[in-house]
Order: sequence, then structure tokens, then C-alpha cells
Amino acid sequence: MNDIIIKSITRLIIPFIQLYGVYIILHGHVSPGGGFAGGAMIGTSLVLYTLVFGIDKSKQKFSHRVSEYAESGGILLYVSLGLIGIVITGSFLTNIEAGFPIGNPGSVLSGGMIPLLMVGIGIKVASTFITLFHTLIEEEVV
Amino acid sequence: MITQLPIINLLLFLGMALIIPLFKKRSFSLTTNLGLGVLFLVWISSIVLLYHVITEGAFYYQLGNYDRMLGIELLINTFSVLFSLFIVSLVIIIYIYSTGDATEGVAEKEYGRYYILLFILLFAMLGILYTNDLFNTYVFMEILSITTVSIISIKRKKENYTAAFRYVMLNEVGSLSYLFGVALLYMITGYTNIELVSEGVQSGWSLYPANILTAIGFMVTGIGIKAAIFPFHIWLPDAHSTAPSSSSAILSAVVVKVYILIMIKILFRVFGIDIIQAVHIPTVLLVIASIGMIMGSIFAIAQTDVKRMLGYSSVAQIGYIVMGIGMVSMLGLQAAFFHIFSHGLMKAALFLSVGAVIYHKKIRNVNEFDGIGFQMPVAMFVFSIAALGMIGVPLTTGFISKLNLGLAALDAGQVVLIVVLIVSGFLNALYYLPIMISAFLKDNKDQQRVMRVEKIPKTMLVPLVVLGGLIIAIGLFPGELLSLLEAAALSLT
Repeated sequence: MNDIIIKSITRLIIPFIQLYGVYIILHGHVSPGGGFAGGAMIGTSLVLYTLVFGIDKSKQKFSHRVSEYAESGGILLYVSLGLIGIVITGSFLTNIEAGFPIGNPGSVLSGGMIPLLMVGIGIKVASTFITLFHTLIEEEVV
Repeated sequence: MITQLPIINLLLFLGMALIIPLFKKRSFSLTTNLGLGVLFLVWISSIVLLYHVITEGAFYYQLGNYDRMLGIELLINTFSVLFSLFIVSLVIIIYIYSTGDATEGVAEKEYGRYYILLFILLFAMLGILYTNDLFNTYVFMEILSITTVSIISIKRKKENYTAAFRYVMLNEVGSLSYLFGVALLYMITGYTNIELVSEGVQSGWSLYPANILTAIGFMVTGIGIKAAIFPFHIWLPDAHSTAPSSSSAILSAVVVKVYILIMIKILFRVFGIDIIQAVHIPTVLLVIASIGMIMGSIFAIAQTDVKRMLGYSSVAQIGYIVMGIGMVSMLGLQAAFFHIFSHGLMKAALFLSVGAVIYHKKIRNVNEFDGIGFQMPVAMFVFSIAALGMIGVPLTTGFISKLNLGLAALDAGQVVLIVVLIVSGFLNALYYLPIMISAFLKDNKDQQRVMRVEKIPKTMLVPLVVLGGLIIAIGLFPGELLSLLEAAALSLT
């Protein structure tokens, strides 16, 4: 798409979409939303970038290799947080009892490890979104 | 420490699936060796768990230390551990085979993806067996069907896409009817934990018979579609015959069995014998099992593609297992469990030996098997052992499971079922014997009768021999396994 308006608006709007995505991810335990919704927003911003600037440019910004690491890394983060529970209390995914700070209920810094889990899910969902989109574009028709 | 092993088993499979994409740049043998190591670790830990459960009794595992009313609970008893050990052992054999052949018709760069899917498949199957929660079972079932459909369509051919699409559509109907049943039960009881639901269902049976009847209907039908029980089998032959040979073996020998195990769990642990007898589930199961046993074999006779034939044969064999369940007695359940084991071994052996023939000779048509026994003696010998087991010839596991089924039928006073068993055995002979006869007694086109071991990779030959040996070994000494299976059947009630 070679339209100056679309390109300029996209450049302007992408940081805000991503910021809002990060906001939704980090507030997953106190307000509606969470890792999946926020991750989907970040993923959508990357899809928008691909639609406007084309797949080649998008791949320079966010290559297959990076998204593979991000996908595995998001879940590995989740699993390793769960393993802390096994080591300390003897049960997978233990939250407060495993020593994660409970914080001040209602504020952003609360809920023990749930914000950290949400970050893991957010990374995974965002990278899955963009990988799926790139795969669909590149798929050769049989 | 031992109580942590179930979750560690699950995490090992999940972790293995996650790190395969990170090894893309390294040589592929690193991935397969690491995967084999993970499988062996889980195998050892399953044996330790089995020993622990037999000596110390079953135990519960609460994820995140939440109460069972709120959180997810795993129940580790003889049933779940024995079948997870069976799944892991069978998959190790098939896995070693798959490293030789990897997979006919799959592009080289897809190998990594194939093993990712395989490990997520294993993760879901073990999760289904361990979990003590109906909704958690649904989540694992969805993971299982998504990975299965990807494995079926991994060859990127038109017929694979057709089979995969048909599979995903029918299985989604199955999943959703199961979920609807869970929702109805949640409406009555307010829980999804199997034991709490079971208590609620027993006390609510007189108050809400319509709800519980609907829930049983939806859940049994939904799982019946996924387990390919006779009238819902139409997706199975396509899906199992178009997939690569090693995954056909896994799908047919293991994955379908997992759904039957969910059905056993629901019928006996959630509803209990009294309720399922009050709504005549056993009669329904016995009728559809008998029809399936006969019709599956008749469809198989008509096939010319050998893998499709094996697919239809699976439909008939699932009928045997359902018949054992339908007798709702200890003997019947034990016979069904034994047939899950023996059919797993035999069908894996059949698919793998046919896979070796397809790999080496590139033939799939039954009529082209003339004289192949001289060119591929090991593969065809294992095929013959497994086929004789399917027919129910003594010295094989198939004979023991038919014997147990017959004894259970006599015990239940259902003589008709014995007639069905015998007729089905004859029909099995009708389509397995011609292949063996043409393979060993007819001449091939080149008139070669020189017998020498076929030139296929050692990693493919050894698993075949192991499977053939196991079929005969368990057929000769079934005692140990039968007593373990009795303990598993007892742990359900």
C-alpha cells in the first residue's frame, strides 16, 4: 500500500496500540483483560505493520527466528515460575505460599506471581499472532 | 518427591516440545536423541509411580495448593499410572521406528514440527489420564484433537487436507457435546471435580433425572465420536490411512484408546453403575459394539488399500473394547482393559510393518503383496504374528483378550455376544489371511524366492521385532498383566 496517509497514521498509531497492550497485560489481575487480550493487541499492531509496509520490511523488524524464541520463551517463563512453587512448597504453580509478595490488593503491584505469568502469556500470544499471519501470507497454495 | 513425578512427567513433555524449535540450527539427531532421553525419563518415572501406587496406594495432587473445590486436582491411581506407562512404552517403540523412517512423504524441514506435535500429543494424553477434573479433561481433549489434526495434515497433500478437515469437523462436534454434558452436570452439582460431581450426581439423581440423562447422552455420544465407536467411525479410516505410518500407529494404537479411557472414567467414576444401568447405557453399548464388530470387518474386506483396511479393522476392534465396557462387570472391564493393551500392540505392529513395506517397496495395494514375504521377511513375519493375533489364534495376546471377553460374556449370561465374537473372528481371518497367503506362498513377478533380511534401517527393524516378541510374550504369560489390570479396574470404583 503506497498511500502516504495510511503510512503516516500507522507510524503514529502503532506505539499507542502497543502501549495499551502492555497496559492491559500488566493490569490483568486487577481489571478485565490480561495476557491473552493484551498479547492479541500487540500482535495486531504487528499485523497492521505487515499490512501497510509489506512482509519484507516486517520481517526485518520481527523475524521468524525472534518469534520462535519468543514463543518458546513465553511458555518456559510460565513453567519456570510454576517450578518455583514445586521447590518451595511442593506443589506446582503455588502463588502466595511460595513467597511471592501479595502486595496491596487492587494496586498494580499485587497478586503475587500473576502479573509475571501474564507477561509470559502476553509474549507468547503476541508472537503467535504474528507468526500465524506471516505463515498464512507465505503459504503456497497446493 | 515421588508425589511430584506426575507433574514433572507432564512438564518434561511440554518442555521438550518447547525447546525443539530452538534447536533448529543444530543437527537433527540432537533433537531425536534428546527426545528419546525425555521419553526414557518419563518411562522410568512411570514405573516408579506404578510401584509407589501399588505399594502405598493412590494419591491426590493439588495444583497450586488450592482446595479441590476451586483448583485443579490430579488423581494418581493404578488406572492412570498403568495406562500412562502403556502409552509411554508403546510410544518409545514407535518413536525409535520413526527416527529411521521419520515419516514417508514429509518434507525434511517439517521433521522438527512433527516431533513438536508428537510431544504435545503425549503431554495431552498423560494429562487426560492424570486429571481428576471434568473441565480439565476437556481442555486436554482439545489439545489432543488440535495436535492430531496437525499430524494428519502434515504431509501437505490434498487427501490429507480432506481427511484432516473431516476429522476436525466431526471431532469438534464431539468436543462440544462433551462440554455441554459437563455444563449440565455443573448446573446440578456446582463442581467440575470428578469426585464432587459424582457425589452430587448420586444425591441429585432422583431430583434431576432429565438433566442427568441428557448429560450422559451428550457425553457418551461426544466421546463416542472421538473414539470412533461404530456409527461415528467415518473419519477414522481416511485420517489413519493418510497420515505417515508411524503416526498412524500412534493414532490407532494409543490416541483412540485415550478417548475410550475417558469414557470408562465418566461411566464408572462420574455416574456410577447404578445410574448407567437405570438409563440402559450397557444395552446401547452392547448393541453398537456388536454391530461395529461385524460391520467394521465387512468394510475392511472391501478395501484394497492396506492402510485403509487396517483403519476399518480398528473400528471393529474398538467394538471389542466397547463390548467389554458394556458388560459393566469386573470381568468385562478387565477384558476391555486387556484388549486395549493387546490391540495397541497388534495395531502398532501392523501399521509399522506395513509402513516398512511402503517405505521399502512403495506399494500400498493389497493385490501387490505377492511374494513380498521373501523380500521383506522380518516385516511380513511381524505382520503375520499381529494378524494372527487379530484373528485370535492361541499364543498371541489377541487370543487371551478374546478368551477373557468370552468368559465375561458367559458370566453375564449373554450367549449372543459369543456368537458375535466368533463371527467377527472369522471375518477378521477373511481379510488378514489372504495377505499372509499372497506374501508367503505366491510368487512375485520376478520369480525370486531368495530369502534375505530386507535392507531397511536398523532403527526400523528392531522396534518391529520387539513388538512381535511382546505380542507372543504377553500372549504366553498374561497373568502378571491381568492382575495389574484387575487392580486398575478396582481402583475405578
